[in-house]
Amino acid sequence: MKPNLLRSLLIDLVIVILGCLSLLAPFIFQQARFPGFSQSTFPIMVSLIIVLCLLILFFESQTALLDGKMIALLGVLIAINAGLRFLENAIPGPAGFSPIFFFIILSGYFFSSRVGFLMGALTMLISALITGGIGPWLPGQMITAGWLGQSSALLRPLINKFGWKEKPMEVVLLAGFSAIWGMIYGVVMNLWFWPFLAFTPDLAWSQSLSLLDNIQRYLAYYLATSVLWDVTRSIGNLVIFAVMTKPVIKILSRFQRRFTFKYSPKVDA
Amino acid sequence: MRHSKAWIIWLVVTTVLLLTTRNPVYLFIILGVVLTLGTLMAKQKTQQPWLKPNLRFLVTMLVLSALINTLFTHVGESVLFTLPDQWLLIGGDITLESLVYGLINGLVIGALYITFNIFNLALSIKQITRLIPNVFHPIVITMTISLTFFPSIQRRAREIKEAQLIRGNPMKRISDWLPLLLPLLITSLEKAFLLSESMTARGFHNQRDQFSNRFLAISLIFATFFIFSGWILRLYAYPFLISFSFYLLSGGFIVFALFYANRKVNITHYHRETWSWEDVLSSILLVAAGATWITLLTTGNLPSTAYTPLPKLLLPKIQFQGVLIFFSPMLPLLFHHHD
Amino acid sequence: MINISHLFYQYPNTDNDVLKDVSLTISPGTLTLISGPSGSGKSTLLRCINGLVPHFSGGLIAGEIDVFGSNPIIDGTKEMSRKVGMVFQEPETQFVYDIVEDEIAFSLENFGIPRKIMHQQVSTVLKNLGLCHFRQRKIHTLSGGEKQKIAIASALVHHPKVLILDEPTSQLDPIAAANMLDFIASLKSKLGLTILITEHRLERLLPYADLLADLSPDGRLESGSPEEILMHMDQVPPIISIAKQIGVKPLPLKIEDFPNLELHRELNIIQKDPGEINTQTPVISTQNLTVNINMTKILDHIDFRLYEGEIHTLIGKNGAGKTTLLRSMMGLTPYEGRIQIFSHDADELGFRKVIQNLAYLPQNPNDLLFAESVLVEMQITLRNHQIHREISEIQGFLARFGLEEVSERYPRDLSVGERQRTALAAITIHEPEIIFLDEPTRGMDYEAKNTLKDQLIEWRDQKKAILVVTHDVEFAALIADRVTILDKGEILFTGSPKTAFTQFSEFQTQTAALFPETGWFTPDDIPFSK
Repeated sequence: MKPNLLRSLLIDLVIVILGCLSLLAPFIFQQARFPGFSQSTFPIMVSLIIVLCLLILFFESQTALLDGKMIALLGVLIAINAGLRFLENAIPGPAGFSPIFFFIILSGYFFSSRVGFLMGALTMLISALITGGIGPWLPGQMITAGWLGQSSALLRPLINKFGWKEKPMEVVLLAGFSAIWGMIYGVVMNLWFWPFLAFTPDLAWSQSLSLLDNIQRYLAYYLATSVLWDVTRSIGNLVIFAVMTKPVIKILSRFQRRFTFKYSPKVDA
Repeated sequence: MRHSKAWIIWLVVTTVLLLTTRNPVYLFIILGVVLTLGTLMAKQKTQQPWLKPNLRFLVTMLVLSALINTLFTHVGESVLFTLPDQWLLIGGDITLESLVYGLINGLVIGALYITFNIFNLALSIKQITRLIPNVFHPIVITMTISLTFFPSIQRRAREIKEAQLIRGNPMKRISDWLPLLLPLLITSLEKAFLLSESMTARGFHNQRDQFSNRFLAISLIFATFFIFSGWILRLYAYPFLISFSFYLLSGGFIVFALFYANRKVNITHYHRETWSWEDVLSSILLVAAGATWITLLTTGNLPSTAYTPLPKLLLPKIQFQGVLIFFSPMLPLLFHHHD
Repeated sequence: MINISHLFYQYPNTDNDVLKDVSLTISPGTLTLISGPSGSGKSTLLRCINGLVPHFSGGLIAGEIDVFGSNPIIDGTKEMSRKVGMVFQEPETQFVYDIVEDEIAFSLENFGIPRKIMHQQVSTVLKNLGLCHFRQRKIHTLSGGEKQKIAIASALVHHPKVLILDEPTSQLDPIAAANMLDFIASLKSKLGLTILITEHRLERLLPYADLLADLSPDGRLESGSPEEILMHMDQVPPIISIAKQIGVKPLPLKIEDFPNLELHRELNIIQKDPGEINTQTPVISTQNLTVNINMTKILDHIDFRLYEGEIHTLIGKNGAGKTTLLRSMMGLTPYEGRIQIFSHDADELGFRKVIQNLAYLPQNPNDLLFAESVLVEMQITLRNHQIHREISEIQGFLARFGLEEVSERYPRDLSVGERQRTALAAITIHEPEIIFLDEPTRGMDYEAKNTLKDQLIEWRDQKKAILVVTHDVEFAALIADRVTILDKGEILFTGSPKTAFTQFSEFQTQTAALFPETGWFTPDDIPFSK
């Protein structure tokens, strides 16, 4: 399994770099801000690269799905999560509150990074399909939610190392993780929208501004629009995790035995 | 127009048209086209109101974008009023040009949203899932299972909620939702186990060799690199020919790798869509329009496309070729019948 | 030909053999019925035929199996799926797709069959099974019986030699179940299939079975002709137990085979007394209860009464409105008309007060259970109603249900019967006066049904008001003090069980069918003077 692990890590690294570069391009590349052809192709190129990244990641993650049991398990979990996403729109709760993080993080944490990725990306895709709402921002949502699930797998070695399994610290760590991601998610989703929305070429007309100024500008935009959403999302996540982690992990543990069992025939007379 | 691939071509061409110009006349043409197309299709396909929600979104985007742009950027020559410079970030000239630019931006986003809505109307969920190539078969099956299970999970959730309500659950705090979520989760996991038994009993099988193709993964990575590099090169004003060849190379990688990997997979499909003459005609015309547009853009032969309200607000120019091309998303309308 | 010899099997993480030294020979083109109490390994045995055991389940296996030339243990599930088609218990859980013809084509897609041939095979199987008009239907709009037929079509589309069915009718109502079993039996001759089927309600299948294999709780198998094996079995359908007691030989497998003994001429006719019902104030009464859902009238001016100290069974066909009546009385559905509980208007009492005196066992008792242990389940209900009880009191309560041994166990790990008892305990721990049960006998064997019967009678004697919605006519006949028959949203009949189970042909029990004009409707009614 060693070479496979290396390959998947490498692919992950490449994707993350590409993805980040695409997202942050407006900050880094001044040329991206000139009006005209280059500027206008910007959103297209970003979307295209993201779609390719998604394809690569999907293809890689499929290796977790080659067992029929995992396919059925994931299919059912995604259906539940998509249902929860419906609730997100129907519940008169504070805006930004998103119950879908819970299962995405837990699948990544509990099973593997591949499963976590699929859980995140496919939850978005399936709920988009069901509501008849495939939009131009879907690839962005899919890959961000996918990263959420994927990164959750990193918690597993951390918890194992300190022996926090099935102790309160496990819940604390997961809850904290979800809160942080609640904010990150908002930041990243805004980055997706940024090239479409506030794309002004004023830099060409005044002095070229530095990276720092750009970040400042972006922060302003962010504060004005979505910080409230992100805060409520993080708090919501904290609450959900605090209440639901322990019992759900218990259930998943019980099922893991049944689901990952492999047949090793032994003749017993 | 029925075929899913024809609609994909439509979507791609319309999106490209929308995103590559800031000329308001052209944009208005497309907006008119998609609104008409959408309203007609919606009347046929769904009971829900279509025009109003979409218009509402459009207006929201117009307002939002105009607001952000006007307040945060301070370029342009026709100053409306000035905010004190000390005010963080919004201090400075508030110009008409920024306003118009913001409006145009909002127009693009709104039209984009409406375009995608039409795509959703045109294709059923089935058609969309069938578009995914065979190489991703495990994922397609996972998606199919989710879609099939979704209604029954909703129903089960309702039944559980009622049973727990009668049992006395007040359903007020978050912890009261545990008695709903946990049995739902357990039951769903058990069902998943049974479902996978049923799938296995019908020949669904672990196909490691078919679906973990190293070649495809590496090709896709190369392809992405090439597209990315081509784009960066373009940004740094390298000759178009170089980046274009990079794009071609990556496109080639993708297509080749997908076909190669697809052939190794031994799954067949029950359904196949057929191309009607309308599908073929529309697709050809749309592709032609798109290709013409790209050529005109890159060779700079169509100055009306490069319209921008900055630095000074002027009336946009329009050219006949542009108008014609921007009417092309209307093609499905011509082939629209009441079925 | 299927040959099993000296088969032993053990599930992973257990230390007892579920199948012990099982040997069985099945000739091609026959129908074999596998019987046995719950948890005895019937499902396991079936899964050995197509390789799900051990390849899907793990565990330890020994012995030899030959299925038409293939060995499931060695060849694996994909190979075996070509020769063996399988249908499972729950109609809902078998489907990947949502359109009928897509689902049927699923196995063909997996085998990589070319498209044209796929279309042919799908059309053929739909025609052979008489299901052509279902071709484009969405599966979730079909009834349970129809769904199972689609599952059968999906299993048969690639022309396997063997069809195995795991309790295919347990989730269906009696009419659909009878229909299904006739259907399955017809496949034997029409398609030359070898069929293996497990079933609790043996009486429906006995006429069709060529071979009966009975599994005992310790994992041993006995097989032979139905008449032979039934002689040794304890848990048998009413017609068989009557025949055994009277001494009819050979054992009759269908009502028509039963000799017309005209017993009632020789013996005194004893008619069952309905018993004294407290006919004063009803615990629940409805007046002109009408329920409309989506412009359809589900219940039409129902006047219904439930008294304390009675077991009242509500029977009727699918879609008659039984569950809706139950739900409106619990306040879960909007209605027109009046509902009074304990002589107060239900609306005035309010939801919380109503449920303090009510217990509801849903169709899926699993919907209720989620706690870590049986004990905690009880505590949850108590906490919901804000009642305090010591643990020792709860243990005492559990003992009444025979659950004191398992009070620390995880409820979902228990047997079907124990799980139902846990659910029953969980909903009655706050000592309600009214108890509603919705289809409590689904998928239960005779022993579990007897336990339930005893529990209901105990409650009835404590003067509780019990309403049981059920399809199971034999069970209803055993427990009912009064019966209401619902048909198309109207009350067809309310009154004594004797009339209900003898005069209405759709709800006639086997005993009543055997001895018409006697008024007997359960085996206990028959006075055996031998």
